[in-house]
Amino acid sequence: MSPDAEVPATASPVAVDSLVVVEPPVASEPLVVARNLEKRYGNVVALGGVSFGIYDGITGILGENGAGKSTAIKIFLGLLEPTSGSAIVMGEDASESPAVRARLGYMPEHDCLPTGVSAAEFLTHMAEASGLPPSRARTRAADTLRHVGLFEERYRSIGGYSTGMKQRVKLAQALVHDPRMVFLDEPTAGLDPAGREEMLDLVRKTHREFGISILCSSHLMSDVERTCDRIIVLQGGALVQAGEVSDLTGETESVFLEVDAAHESLIGELERRGVAARIEGGAIHIENADAAVYDHIRDALVDSGAPLRRMAPRRRALAELFAREGDEAPPGGPR
Amino acid sequence: MTRPTAVAPEVATPTHGTVFDIGYQRYDGPREGRSRSRIAVFRDGVRAALGLGRGGKAKILPWTFIGAMVAVGFILALVAGFVLRVAGPEAVDEIPSHSDFYGIASMFYLVFAAVVAPELLCPDRRNRVIDLYLVRPLTGSDYIAARWLAFLAVALFAAWLPQFVLMAGRVMGNPDPVSYLRETWLDAPRILGAGGAIAVFTTTLALLVAAFSSRRAYAAVFLVGLFVITAPFTMGLSQEIDGAAGQWISMFTLSNIPVHVNDLIFGQVSAMTAEAPARELPAEVLVGWFLAWVIVPGGILWARYRRLTP
Repeated sequence: MSPDAEVPATASPVAVDSLVVVEPPVASEPLVVARNLEKRYGNVVALGGVSFGIYDGITGILGENGAGKSTAIKIFLGLLEPTSGSAIVMGEDASESPAVRARLGYMPEHDCLPTGVSAAEFLTHMAEASGLPPSRARTRAADTLRHVGLFEERYRSIGGYSTGMKQRVKLAQALVHDPRMVFLDEPTAGLDPAGREEMLDLVRKTHREFGISILCSSHLMSDVERTCDRIIVLQGGALVQAGEVSDLTGETESVFLEVDAAHESLIGELERRGVAARIEGGAIHIENADAAVYDHIRDALVDSGAPLRRMAPRRRALAELFAREGDEAPPGGPR
Repeated sequence: MTRPTAVAPEVATPTHGTVFDIGYQRYDGPREGRSRSRIAVFRDGVRAALGLGRGGKAKILPWTFIGAMVAVGFILALVAGFVLRVAGPEAVDEIPSHSDFYGIASMFYLVFAAVVAPELLCPDRRNRVIDLYLVRPLTGSDYIAARWLAFLAVALFAAWLPQFVLMAGRVMGNPDPVSYLRETWLDAPRILGAGGAIAVFTTTLALLVAAFSSRRAYAAVFLVGLFVITAPFTMGLSQEIDGAAGQWISMFTLSNIPVHVNDLIFGQVSAMTAEAPARELPAEVLVGWFLAWVIVPGGILWARYRRLTP
């Protein structure tokens, strides 16, 4: 999808001077603006000239592995130089402005923690490296470790921490200097379901209680749906979708029915009412289920006499969202 | 009608304190920017080199080497004191001198740099902590300059401390310490200069090698090989080949490069360079060679880290 490509009607972004802007609930200046942002490694295109703006709130960058999420974040932070285009963060190019970098936080996807020091020592050092005076840095380190739930463990060596605890330290070091905006690259990577939920809670709390804007990358649709206000979908370095999460998830809703018998009869009754249905994995799937479709399903169930076991809305998987845009969904993509 | 009597309300006397957890707070205090960031990286470098704030194992290597070098200085001081007491002040030329110190302790010193200096760079690259620095108000140049200065500070401490222990021994061993100090006060700036030369040289080379490896052990082994193993090879070859060629081959004994400067500063040849043909070269050549071995590796080191920020 080119940067100027039309955004689907269901999404809220509007094209302004070739810039896809995700409209915030309240009008404000964008914190991050990407204009025709391109990054190439030889012949490999990591980002293919994407343009978008990011506002206050929690914005998710969604995409498969290799979609360009981490590349975009590293360009915003000044860790990578774009091949062409520009990335402006809080009005400046972060790679040229230490003052802007002092107000940004970054939680990388990869391991980035020293093993031989305690979390308290490491966070104090990171706060000082962000420009805080030593006495304030110690206080901030303790407060931030309390915020992420590691206060009791703060004097233990990081090398002895579990994966979940290390993820929390990574988040804490991104917050310790009280940034205006943080960039979280796959914050739930490697966590079990409980740890993932706790991390997402922390992310939500960080914005809603402390007003820190967040750009959070993930390849998991469910993480983004539950955490973010707005979403940017990348695939193969191109912008696929951008908009309010509620719009995109509404668009991807479908419903599935499990009946004990009379599958064919039920499908026949549905088709007679103009509702397209298909059988997949023993369940009947119906796309784009709005309120009227639910009424037809009710009537078809009564008329066909099919004994209903279960009926539930189903979120479209990320790969299916991409496929609907006309691209082949990568195999083995997340569901 | 009687006026109601005012009764003072009973105030419960607290019997225990209450802890209020105010939790995470926004920060509105001072932000000292890039200068504070540089100081933080410098200070962390010093602490990493000396194992401060780390576990016990991290302290073993640096403090063992520093202790060994101080022990050499202490033993030389004892020998000096004993000789002066027994043979009198006229034996001052026979006792171990400050110029001799680096000849005797230089192997400890070079291995110390080889083993400890990589601790300042290798873990940050292996654990990818470097990315966390570069998204803060620091540049790659700031980072490497702060790390270079941090190890230089540690190297100067390790170079000067044993020399001042030796100086104290020589002063206290002399029957007339005041006269002795008056006659030899120039040794103090000479110690600072010679220690500075060896510290700058080893800091730059050790960090350069560490900048190209993410494994501390590889960097340390390579450096020990560079400093220690090349010495007998180049010394042997230079003694076989006469003339200028032999002198120039002798110049490639890396561990001798700062010791030639040490000899020039103290005005006497130390035991380590007594057999090196390079000692006969002009002083300008020896100093120029030393500076080249600091400036060129330093430039490569800086260029390698400068590229980390666009």
